[in-house]
Amino acid sequence: MTEEELLARAVEERKIIVEKYRKGRQKGVHIDPWEDPSIQLYQALDRYGFIHEGSYVHSSNSQEQRLEQERIRKWTKMVDKWDKKKVIDSDKLKRRVYKGIPDCFRGKVWSKLLGLDTIKEEQRGKYEEMCKLAWEYSPDIRQIDLDVNRTYREHIHFRERYNSKQCELFNVLGAYSIYNLEIGYCQGMSQIVALLLMYLTEEDAFWALSTFVSDKRFNMHGFYIPGFPKLLRYQEHHDKILNKFLPKLKRHLDKNGVDTGIYTLKWFFQCFLDRIPFQLTLRVWDIFILEGERILTAMAFNILKSHRKRIFQLGMDDILQFLQVKLPKNFEYSDDVAIENLQRCVEELKKSKLDYAGTPPPNELPKKPFGIFKPNSSFEQKVVGLRKDFSSVEKLTRDNVMLRREESLVNSPNGRLSNRHSDISAADASFDDGSSIIGEGSHKSLAGTSITSTADLSILSSVTRSQAADAHSIDIGTVESDDGQTPSGLTTPLAITCASPSPDVVRIFVPYVTPSHSPIHASPQNGDLVYRQENKIRIRIVEQTTSDEIQTPVIETCSLLSLRPSQNIDLK
Amino acid sequence: MSAPPYSYSYIFKYIIIGDMGVGKSCLLHQFTEKKFMSDCPHTIGVEFGTRIIDVCGQKIKLQIWDTAGQERFRAVTRSYYRGAAGALMVYDTTRRTTYNHLSSWLTDTRNLTNPSTVIFLIGNKSDLKDQRDVAYEEAKQFADENGLMFVEASAKTGDNVEEAFVETAKKIFQCIQDGRLDLNATESGVQHKPSQPGRQTLTDQSPKPSCSC
Repeated sequence: MTEEELLARAVEERKIIVEKYRKGRQKGVHIDPWEDPSIQLYQALDRYGFIHEGSYVHSSNSQEQRLEQERIRKWTKMVDKWDKKKVIDSDKLKRRVYKGIPDCFRGKVWSKLLGLDTIKEEQRGKYEEMCKLAWEYSPDIRQIDLDVNRTYREHIHFRERYNSKQCELFNVLGAYSIYNLEIGYCQGMSQIVALLLMYLTEEDAFWALSTFVSDKRFNMHGFYIPGFPKLLRYQEHHDKILNKFLPKLKRHLDKNGVDTGIYTLKWFFQCFLDRIPFQLTLRVWDIFILEGERILTAMAFNILKSHRKRIFQLGMDDILQFLQVKLPKNFEYSDDVAIENLQRCVEELKKSKLDYAGTPPPNELPKKPFGIFKPNSSFEQKVVGLRKDFSSVEKLTRDNVMLRREESLVNSPNGRLSNRHSDISAADASFDDGSSIIGEGSHKSLAGTSITSTADLSILSSVTRSQAADAHSIDIGTVESDDGQTPSGLTTPLAITCASPSPDVVRIFVPYVTPSHSPIHASPQNGDLVYRQENKIRIRIVEQTTSDEIQTPVIETCSLLSLRPSQNIDLK
Repeated sequence: MSAPPYSYSYIFKYIIIGDMGVGKSCLLHQFTEKKFMSDCPHTIGVEFGTRIIDVCGQKIKLQIWDTAGQERFRAVTRSYYRGAAGALMVYDTTRRTTYNHLSSWLTDTRNLTNPSTVIFLIGNKSDLKDQRDVAYEEAKQFADENGLMFVEASAKTGDNVEEAFVETAKKIFQCIQDGRLDLNATESGVQHKPSQPGRQTLTDQSPKPSCSC
């Protein structure tokens, strides 16, 4: 299809989608049967509106109910005199928010903490304007439409296709995609807005999202822009915290190939929505809205610290299952205990000045003004497709993520040597608090493996070499594919230094050019692809941060498993 | 304390990729839970699923990495392609754009996996017959030209879902038997689990049972 045809198609598609939401459910819009999951379980609705399979037992007891009534009384007083008494700066407010805002006050208090009334007053008419522009021009409408129908469908408000809350969600996300053109729409935002819509009006939800993204208390802009620079910075900071406070757990995670990138994305992107039980998420959100982004770091630390003993007993599959599936169902600590632990984590991190990941560098901050949209933009802005090239920010991200994954394998005691038996034996586990599930000796065993880790790599040469093939993360093949360069364009060794502030890595690539081979057309059977990997030398100096490990530079040569004899250049 | 005995002989790593909304997570859910999830949430980052299947008398654990489809997540999800033994590349038979993007996904996969990675193309939503936007023959030709295995499937009805996952595993298993896939390389995406725990060494050779598949 030509660009014009694609464009015409995108415009037509957008018109149809927008029309459906404007009509809404009541006015006879056509709904495919598969779009509308059936509702038979009204009796199993929890207090927040989520539908549960089977019968749902509300767990709060009479004492908790009395406590909540008591809190509601106190909050009523406090909210009444909010403006007169400068409640917002008071210790009393802080104390009470940490105890949990009563659900009936949540929307009101969130709105006050975020100062939504003031913003709305200043920006009168803006939201409506953005909605209209979005219906006409937003290139993200198709993506938003797909996600609206996949956001909290287990919640009664979002269950029915094109019902009023789905329409509100569609409007807010659409309007924001035009309001903040640098982000547009990014997956993860729909859950946040859906949560906001459970407590706020449509326009309030829009301005709340806007506050999270651009207010300096939250600065979430850098999370959602392409390349996710803030996500990477947060993940690095998280690793730093683990290396300092939970080094053995970090090694255990590394050993099992569970790197930070896998499990923290939703934690940071949506402030733990979907990753811990909803009721606890609300408590965390109360604090997030009061305190800002610092709470993300502390809560991430809190989750791993609280569950480290369990995690030590699990292998890779089960760790991910535990963090992604089991924890959202059952956090295993009561909400109050989890929040008390969170406060302790904040204090602990503060002492080491690690509670805050730092002020955002310029590349994480908005560059274009908000709410100014000119319809005559480029083709790329009109049709969202799969781009062939990455932007420079995305390239950096991509390379850093690859590098980190690789590093976690290198740093791990057994990761690359015995990846094949990564199911852990509990005998290796000793906890970061010094306790052990099997008594003395376990600490030694773990420390032992970690010492051998770096030193032995050079000795187990054949295995190491074939396994070191995963070094091709930022290799010529990648450069060639994404930038449209052919291997023959690289005639001199190319060194790439890592922009990440952690370990120092210098890579030297020595291209061995076989221009007639294109990776796409090479037959997988004849092994011709190997030329890309085998002509590479890699020198790696691993900087060890924990005291129980010796500093050993690791030198590896690299070749992929190959059906023809490989020519390794050994640097030793 | 010794490790528990493995209930399977191999682990195969799979990735599922493709545009957003094509039904990657629904295919995975249909395969692991054997039911259609009409209220399936969209995947942000990577999610993870496993199932043990039987191929040629061998118990094989599939370790399946389900990835986010939104374009901008590609920068972070790509790092998990590495070391995949199987790649399920999915498009939506009712949305042509998702098909048009296949060459980008294929380039990514080829660049980041190894030559022996089995790539299986799935045209999902085959049950929505009257909304078809991509002809079977066209996709079949694309698959043939690029040496991919191919089926049209439906995560909703379950049609061909099991087949896609299992056929991929059979092909990988064949590669192991032929010696085209080196088990000693982490890159292979295959881990061999000797049935006797505690006796694993790096020189362990895989048994080569005869298999007619």
